[in-house]
This record gives sequence, structure tokens and C-alpha cells, in this order.
Amino acid sequence: MTSRISRTAIAAVLLGLGALGAAPAMAQDAVISAAKAAGTVGEQADGYLGIKGTVSGDVRSAVDALNIKRRAAYTDLAAKRNVTVQDMAAVTGCQTLAGRVSQGQIYRIGSGEWQTKGAGPIALPDYCAAATR
Amino acid sequence: MRYGIWIGRTTRLASGLLLAGMAGGCIQVRAPEKPIEINLNVKIQQEVVVRLQQDAKDLIQNNPELFPQ
Repeated sequence: MTSRISRTAIAAVLLGLGALGAAPAMAQDAVISAAKAAGTVGEQADGYLGIKGTVSGDVRSAVDALNIKRRAAYTDLAAKRNVTVQDMAAVTGCQTLAGRVSQGQIYRIGSGEWQTKGAGPIALPDYCAAATR
Repeated sequence: MRYGIWIGRTTRLASGLLLAGMAGGCIQVRAPEKPIEINLNVKIQQEVVVRLQQDAKDLIQNNPELFPQ
């Protein structure tokens, strides 16, 4: 009887933790999507998000947190494939620039200026050619 | 018996000379007139991109929360 109660209690606590953990992640993505639509956050060819100009602390911390998660994912894959984290991130950057920037959103290649995506595809760096074929 | 040894020596000497002659003919190394250009760097780079392409696609597809639009 006690074990059943404690099991139920543990399950409830776990569910609660899960909800707590999921909520900020959802909010973070929403913050970034809004900032992208506003033209203050954009994808970069290096595989990370960048900030244009000055943004609120919320946006900055959301971008930082997401970039840390991306780097962790790039690091994992890079180790598996025996390549540098930079290469893994840059190849992913080719993909995000090619397929995940909507018209009107901003993007940046290298240390160049922020550009706004028009109706046509983004002119990708040369090394991306093989990735988008 | 002595005659046989003499023939043996001659044959060995002759075959030795023959081998030396063949070797002389075969191992003639001349430097190429133009330097051989092997541009491996670019190819390796492209191969890395090709190899990682699917990983990058999978990463985005399996972790949409890392790539919000």
C-alpha cells in the first residue's frame, strides 16, 4: 500500500518536473521565432544563430541557450564522424541557410553584413555546393 | 668435373651480367618534366561536406526544437 502511494507520488513529481522542463523550452523557441520574424535574430553560415543589433535580455539568453545546445549536438556528431566541430556546424549551416530561412528573415554568411532573404534562394558559400546537391 | 665447374661459373657470371643489364634498363628514373599536381585539399573538403550532409539533415529533422523557424 505504501509502496503504491510512493510510486504514485514519484510519478506525479516526475510528471511535474517534465512539465517544468518542457515549458521553458517551448517559450525559448517562441522567443526565437518571434525575434526571427522581427529581423533581430537570424541563421548564420557557421551553423549558429546570430543577433543583429541590440535585443532584450530574453532574446539574448534564448539565443545563447540554443547555440549551446546546437554546439553540443555538433560536438557529438563530429566525434562520431571524426571531423571538427566547426566542419559539422558549417555543413549544418549550409542546410539551414538552404532550407530553413523564410523570405524576409535575416541571415549572415561569414563575418559579412546581415542580409534579408528575398524571393530567390540564398547564395551559399562555395563549400556548400556539395551539401545542397 | 673441372669443365663443369667452369661452365657453371660462366653461366653464373653471364646471368649476373644479364640481370645487371636488365636492372639497368628497368630502373631508369627520370624526373617528370612538369611537376605532378595533386590537389587533394579541395577534394577532401568536398568529401567531408558530402559525408556530413545526411548527418546534418537528420540532426535538423530529429531535433526541430534546436532549429526553430
